[in-house]
Amino acid sequence: MRIVNPTFGVSAAAGETVALKPVNWKTDAIALFSNSKPNARELLDGIRTKLSAFRSVDNIDFVAKNSASQGASKDLIEKVAANYRGALLAIAD
Amino acid sequence: MKDTTEQEVIEIGDLDVEAFNEYATEQGWSDGMPLFVPTEDKVAKFVERVRGDNRPFSPVPPRQVVPTLQSLAANAVMAGCKPEYFPAVTAAMRGVLDPAFNLHGTLATTHSCAPMVMISGPARKELGVNCGSNCFGQGWRANATIGRALGLMLLNVAGAKPGEMDRSTQGNPAKFTFCFGENEEENPWTPYHVQRGFAPTDSVVTVMSGEGPHNLNDHGSTSGIGLLTTFAGGMATPGANTIYGKGPLFIVIGPEHAATLKRDGFSIESIREELFTRSRVHASRISEENQQTYVTTGHKPDGDWFTIAPTPQDIHITVAGGPGKHSAFIPSFGGTTVACVRIAP
Repeated sequence: MRIVNPTFGVSAAAGETVALKPVNWKTDAIALFSNSKPNARELLDGIRTKLSAFRSVDNIDFVAKNSASQGASKDLIEKVAANYRGALLAIAD
Repeated sequence: MKDTTEQEVIEIGDLDVEAFNEYATEQGWSDGMPLFVPTEDKVAKFVERVRGDNRPFSPVPPRQVVPTLQSLAANAVMAGCKPEYFPAVTAAMRGVLDPAFNLHGTLATTHSCAPMVMISGPARKELGVNCGSNCFGQGWRANATIGRALGLMLLNVAGAKPGEMDRSTQGNPAKFTFCFGENEEENPWTPYHVQRGFAPTDSVVTVMSGEGPHNLNDHGSTSGIGLLTTFAGGMATPGANTIYGKGPLFIVIGPEHAATLKRDGFSIESIREELFTRSRVHASRISEENQQTYVTTGHKPDGDWFTIAPTPQDIHITVAGGPGKHSAFIPSFGGTTVACVRIAP
């Protein structure tokens, strides 16, 4: 018996491939990216405190989406990509 | 674009219905209830119904694949739809693909939201959509299977697998199906789709990512203002997602309540204004911690009161149901919109 696959679809064009560069977590600028859910900021703040034990945190910044229920804007993602070498994301509740 | 490694047509051998259901469940295609078999000939009958509507579909998030009419129809077949339902099903799919609907967010959230589907216009009668007694409930194939077909598409095409991409904490029975018709015959005001700019002769599917219906029982009030007091009190609930004050909501008024409101001179606009003003939640009903959360996410109180809609226009009004003194409040996910799509003739 032949059936039509209910999951079939054509995948959208793959995103531009970006060559990954190594991140020096001891010195590079890092974004602490919040999904804007309650307590995400507190969680990231704890990470920043832990990082301060072995590196300067002057170039570790908090970034947040405008809304917990909406995706981050393209502009925000591009801004993070342009200004930071690494990002740590808080993605759950 | 590039083709996925999946095949649009699959040879599964000689399986009876029970064996097919075991196979489909193993594939993760099922919502837990029995499925019809999406054979090529059945799917072709569905696709034939939308031949005049060749607009392409955009990639469906979160999985980001572009479905074919065949793969969408396979889900409608599995749901138990009749072929003539398929244009309404594809219209619903186009509605949830409106970028403002925020399909990714509504599918991946921990909230319980499910896609509410409302059908307006002549298609209600042509398809046998229940608009009257028990319109949110069981008993009508069109209601049951059109909503179910959309749910299966979101599972199989969008990839919203419960516990994986669909992260809903508790879910909601409306995730099985949530489809009803507008009771235009007993709507004393303008039908909803006409409010939205469509012609009365158009058939339109309206979708919103919402919670299930919250009952608004009022057997005692004999005045319009009395009914709106009950409605506003029922809407002012700190536990619904509308407490964040960021999205639309529906008030589905039962015909008897609608007749009373109309008799007392209320219009759609004045109902909206009255409910917007009076459905606020007093700060004393919300914990201080939660108030702080609202404020830090941009929802500041108006004095000691939190509104549950951004504007009166975010309160959407329609009429559905049968005899009885009940109406319904359907809160949305919040970060979403109410999308309307005309069903292709």
